[in-house]
Amino acid sequence: MSDIRYQTAIRELEASSEDLRPSDVILLSEPLRSALNFVIRLGRFSLTEFAEKMPFTRDETKHIADLLVARNLFTAMDYSTAEETYYESRLTAMTRPLKRPPTDIWKKADLD
Amino acid sequence: MSKIISIHSFRGGTGKSNTTANISALLAMDGARVGVVDTDIASPGIHVLFNLDESEMVHSLNDYLWGKCGIEEAAHDVTGHVGGEIKGQIFLIPSSIKPGEIARILREGYDVGLLNDGFRDVVEKLKLDYLLIDTHPGLNEETLLSIAISNALVIILRPDSQDYQGTAVTVDVAKKLDVPKMLMLVNKVPTQFDFDDVRARVEQTYDATVGAVLPHSDEMMTLASSGIFSIRFPDHVVTQGLRNLVDQLK
Repeated sequence: MSDIRYQTAIRELEASSEDLRPSDVILLSEPLRSALNFVIRLGRFSLTEFAEKMPFTRDETKHIADLLVARNLFTAMDYSTAEETYYESRLTAMTRPLKRPPTDIWKKADLD
Repeated sequence: MSKIISIHSFRGGTGKSNTTANISALLAMDGARVGVVDTDIASPGIHVLFNLDESEMVHSLNDYLWGKCGIEEAAHDVTGHVGGEIKGQIFLIPSSIKPGEIARILREGYDVGLLNDGFRDVVEKLKLDYLLIDTHPGLNEETLLSIAISNALVIILRPDSQDYQGTAVTVDVAKKLDVPKMLMLVNKVPTQFDFDDVRARVEQTYDATVGAVLPHSDEMMTLASSGIFSIRFPDHVVTQGLRNLVDQLK
């Protein structure tokens, strides 16, 4: 069960190289979505705190965190140590200029 | 620990800005340091409730998003503008009311990540107990960001079929974002409605707690955003409902 959910999380994060936007997070599968909701609210957190929110191994969680760094949702902090990695979360997205109506967010809002 | 509270509605005209201003005043009257951010960049207005004139706006949220100032420089201490016995403080970060600046920021867009940074920075720099985010109506990346980082969310709706349908989308999204506390506020309810029935219907429809059911108020309409209702009418039934809501948010 864990393996399927882990593979799904990896697949979702590797599906794009664009920065993760707030509207992307709500479409992610569990348990990744809830874990991200938690750490996004924390703002600054450790790999341990992130790992506690998902039923994956620490190495698997680190791999997920690395993908989230690549998608600019996480930033690894300078004060990380060999034993513990610390991150800061930052949701980012460019708002739409008037000339381009935000139609794709409504496609994403079709959550069924 | 500081709390970030978003006040949101799917549709416009539900009373977000008035509710935000009143919540901020009630919290500050109890001694809290409260920040308020007007993120409705397209149609800013909450500054009117705080009697902050355009001429007094040294910097706005727009200036921060353009990198012209730090977020704390856009925070205006409006405690003395609102009257009443305020033991705490209220800081307002307004959005610009200048048409050219509104048009520019809508045309060019901005990185909502700067809002993310700004919210966290202003809480730290001003040592806020609460940060209230007055959001733009409807769902967009900015409102999703606000909800995603908030510890509490107040969703406002009127007893109107358009509001009911659209609010279902907002509630669903808020649940997917695991907001720790979500309260519904049913506003502008005709006095001939059965308020208990309204509360029960909303709670059942959305499987969410109703924080308050507030009646339509001629006094509120007559005040017409020229001041903060709970300060002007401290004994009004609407103010009592807002106090109950604030108690649930603390």
